[in-house]
Amino acid sequence: MKIPVGIPVFVAAAGTDPRFAKMVSRWLVSAGVWLLFASVVGLLEAFRLIDTEILADHAWATYGRMRPVHTMTMLFGWASMALTGLAFYVVAKSTLLPMHEPLSKTELVFANMALWLFNIGVGVGAVAMCMGDLNAGREYREWPWYAMAPAFASVGICGVLFYRMVARRAVQGIYISCWFVMAGCFWIAIVVLMGYQTFWTAGIPDRIIDGFYIHNAVGMWFTPLAVGMTYYALPKLLNKPIYSYALGVLGFFTHLAFYTVIGTHHYIFTPLPMALQTTSVICSVAMIVPVWASTGNFLMTMKGERLAISHSYSLPFLLVGVLGYGLASVQGSAESLRFVQEILHFTHYTVGHAHFAMYVFVTFLIWGCIYGLVPRMTGREPPIALVTIHFWLALGGIAVYVVGLSVGGHLQGESWVDGEAFMESVRVAGPDRVWRAVGGLLMFVSHIFVFVALWKMRPGAFTMAFGGGQS
Amino acid sequence: MAFSIHTNHRVLFLLPAGIYLVLVYLCAVWPAMQEQAAMEKIPQPPENELVARGRELYGSFNCVTCHTQQIRGDERKASDNDGVRVVPVLEADARFGRELATRAEEYAWQAPVFMGTQRIGPDLSSTGRRLPEAQWHYWHLYDPQSVSPDSLMPPHRFLFTTEAPTGDAQYDYEEVQVIAGLGVSGGKLWAKPDAVALVEYLLSLNREYLETEGLGK
Ligand code: HEC
Ligand code: HEM
Ligand code: HEM
Repeated sequence: MKIPVGIPVFVAAAGTDPRFAKMVSRWLVSAGVWLLFASVVGLLEAFRLIDTEILADHAWATYGRMRPVHTMTMLFGWASMALTGLAFYVVAKSTLLPMHEPLSKTELVFANMALWLFNIGVGVGAVAMCMGDLNAGREYREWPWYAMAPAFASVGICGVLFYRMVARRAVQGIYISCWFVMAGCFWIAIVVLMGYQTFWTAGIPDRIIDGFYIHNAVGMWFTPLAVGMTYYALPKLLNKPIYSYALGVLGFFTHLAFYTVIGTHHYIFTPLPMALQTTSVICSVAMIVPVWASTGNFLMTMKGERLAISHSYSLPFLLVGVLGYGLASVQGSAESLRFVQEILHFTHYTVGHAHFAMYVFVTFLIWGCIYGLVPRMTGREPPIALVTIHFWLALGGIAVYVVGLSVGGHLQGESWVDGEAFMESVRVAGPDRVWRAVGGLLMFVSHIFVFVALWKMRPGAFTMAFGGGQS
Repeated sequence: MAFSIHTNHRVLFLLPAGIYLVLVYLCAVWPAMQEQAAMEKIPQPPENELVARGRELYGSFNCVTCHTQQIRGDERKASDNDGVRVVPVLEADARFGRELATRAEEYAWQAPVFMGTQRIGPDLSSTGRRLPEAQWHYWHLYDPQSVSPDSLMPPHRFLFTTEAPTGDAQYDYEEVQVIAGLGVSGGKLWAKPDAVALVEYLLSLNREYLETEGLGK
C-alpha cells in the first residue's frame, strides 16, 4: 500500500544525500532507543507504586532516583532528539535546499558531532542520577551540570546549523516551520541557562526560576518544535497548502507573548509574589489563543480529507496529535485556575496532564512526522500492519493511563478536602495506579513496534543507489 | 521589504529572541532579584553538620518527588493581625499539624528548596513536630509498612545493617530497637551513619527556629 496522496515515497526520496539521510536517521534511531529505555524505567516506576518491594534493596535504583531517569530521558533523550532530527529534514525541505547536498561536508560532521554529544548527555545524566548526583526538587533539570553541558552544546550546534540553512535558502520567504525551529533553539538555550544559573539558587527566588523553567522547557521547546514540524508535514502529506498562513503567524507571536510568563502557575497559593501568580493564571487562560490558532489551522487544513486520513498510516497520528495539543492545553488552562488548583494540585491528575500533553500531543505528532516524512527521505516504508498495531496500542494505552490517573487524582484531591486521614487518599487511588500500569504496559509494547519501524525505515540500498550528491 | 520578518532571516531570528529576553527579564529575572534582595535581609538559620548531611541525602534519594514541604495558604481569606499578615491554611492542606501557611521566610537560604510538586506521601514541613521519635523514623525507613500499613513509600533497608559496627566508626551508628513488624532475623539492627543523618534532618523539621524568630506555628 502506498501513501494515497502526493507522489510515491521513492520518487520523493530519490536524489537525497545518503549521508544526510543517515545522519537524520541516526538521531531518530537514538531517540527510539531512549524511548524504549525510558519506557522500561517508567513501567518500573508505575509498578513500584503498586508493589514497593520491587528492586527495593539497591540504593541506585530507589524510586526517587529512577523517576528523573524516566522523565529526563523521555523529555531529552526521546522527544528532544526526535524533534531535532526531524527538524534537519524539515528545515532543509522547507527552505528548498538542494537535497543532494542540503548540508556541506563540514556541516554534516558537526551535525553528527551534535548527535553524539546529545547521546552522551542523556547517558551520563541517567548514570549520574542513579549514583545520587541529581538536582533534587528541580524538575526537568535534575541532570547534574556535566550531563546538561553536552546536550546544551549539541542544541547550540544544531541551532547554528538551522540558522545557516535558513540563511542560504532557495526561496525568498521563510516558512513558518523554520520560525518555530529557529526560535525554539534560541529559547531553550536561554531556558537552560536560566535553569542552571548560580545566582538565585535558594529560597523563593529559586522557585520563581523553577516555575519559569518547567513551563518554558515544555512551552518554548517541545511545543514550538512539534508545532513547527506539523506545519510542514501536514500540508505536505495532504498535498495542499496550510489553511491560513496568517493564523500561523498570529499563533507564533501570541505563543511567545503568553507562554513565556505562565510558569508561576506551578506555585499557586504559595509565598511567591502574588503579581506573578495572577499573571500566570490570566496568561494560562489566554493561551487558548495561540493553541487554537494552530490547532484550528491544522483542523481546517484536514477538513474534508477524511478519505486521505483513513487511507494513510501517518495522518491518523497527526490528527490525534493535533487534537491532543488543543485538548491538553485547554486542560492546562483549566488546571491553572485557583479553584481547580485547590483540589487537583499535588495529585496524580497532574501526572495525567503531563502524559496527555507529552504523549498525545508531542509524541503522537513526532510519530506522525516520522512515518510521514522519513519514507520520503529514505525511500523505505515501515510495515503497515506494524504501524497500525502501534497506533491502536499507543492510543488505547494512553487513554487508559490518562483516564485512570485523572479519576485517581480527583479521588485523592477530594479525600484531602474532606479531611480524611492521609492514608485514605493513598488507598482510594490504588486501583487507578493499577490502571496506569496497565496502560503503560500497552504503551511500552507499542514502543517496541516504533523501534522496529524506525529500523526498517533506515537508509539502505535504495538511498545508496539513488541518492544524490557526495557519495 | 528588506526588514520583513517573512523574508529576512536576521529579523526573524532577532525579533523573537529580543522579545523573549525582555519577557524573561520581566517575569523571571527581575522578580527573582527582588526576592533575593528581600531574602538577604533575613539572617541565615543555624544548621548543624549532621542535619546538613541529612538534607543532602534527602536530595540525593530525591524524597522530594513524593513529599512536599509547603502548606498552601488561602490568600483570598488573608487578614491583617497587628501588622502581621495571617494566611489561613487551604482546606486540603489542613491535616499536617500546621495552623499557618508556609511563608517566604521559611525557605530563606534553603538550597535546594524542597517545596515539591507532588504529594504521593504526606507533607513533611513539620514532621519533626508530629513525629519526634527517632526510633519511629528508623522503623519507618527500614520498612514503611511496619508502621504504616499500605504505605507506598519504598523501604530503605540499604541504610541499615545487621552486623554490629566496630572501631571508631561505630559511634556514627545508632542501634535500632527491633519491633516485631520489621522482620529482622537475629534481632539486632543498626542504622548506618547516612540513616542517622537523614533522621536527624527529618527531626529538625520542627519549626522551633521559626517560633523563636516570632514567625508562628
Ligand atoms: C514513592 C513515594 C515516596 C518516596 C520516594 C518517599 N516517600 Fe516517604 N512516604 C510516602 C508515603 C505514601 C507515606 C505515607 C505512609 C507512611 O507513613 O509510610 C510516606 C511517609 C513518610 C513519612 C511519615 C510522614 C508522616 O507525617 O506520617 C516520613 C518522615 C517520610 N515519608 C520520609 C521520607 C524520606 C526521608 C524519603 C526519602 C529517603 C521518602 N520519604 C521517600 C511516599 C514516599
Ligand atoms: C497552554 C497550555 C497549558 C497550560 C495552561 C498548562 C498548565 C499547567 C498547569 C497549571 C500545571 C500544573 C498542575 C499542577 O501541578 O497542579 C501543568 C503541569 C504540567 N504541564 Fe502543562 N499546561 C499547558 C500545556 C502543556 C503542554 C503543551 C505540555 C507538554 C508539552 C505540558 C506539560 C506539563 C507537564 C510536564 C506538567 C507537570 C509539571 C510538574 O509535575 O511539576 N503542559 N500544566
Ligand atoms: C511506557 C510508557 C510510560 C510509563 C509507564 C510512564 C510512567 C510514568 C510514571 C510511573 C511516572 C511517575 C508518576 C508519579 O509520580 O506518579 C511518570 C512521570 C512522568 N513521565 Fe512518564 N511514562 C511513560 C511514558 C512517558 C512519555 C512517552 C513521556 C514523554 C515524552 C513521559 C513523561 C513523563 C513526565 C514529564 C513525567 C513527570 C510528570 C509530573 O511530574 O507531573 N512519560 N511516568
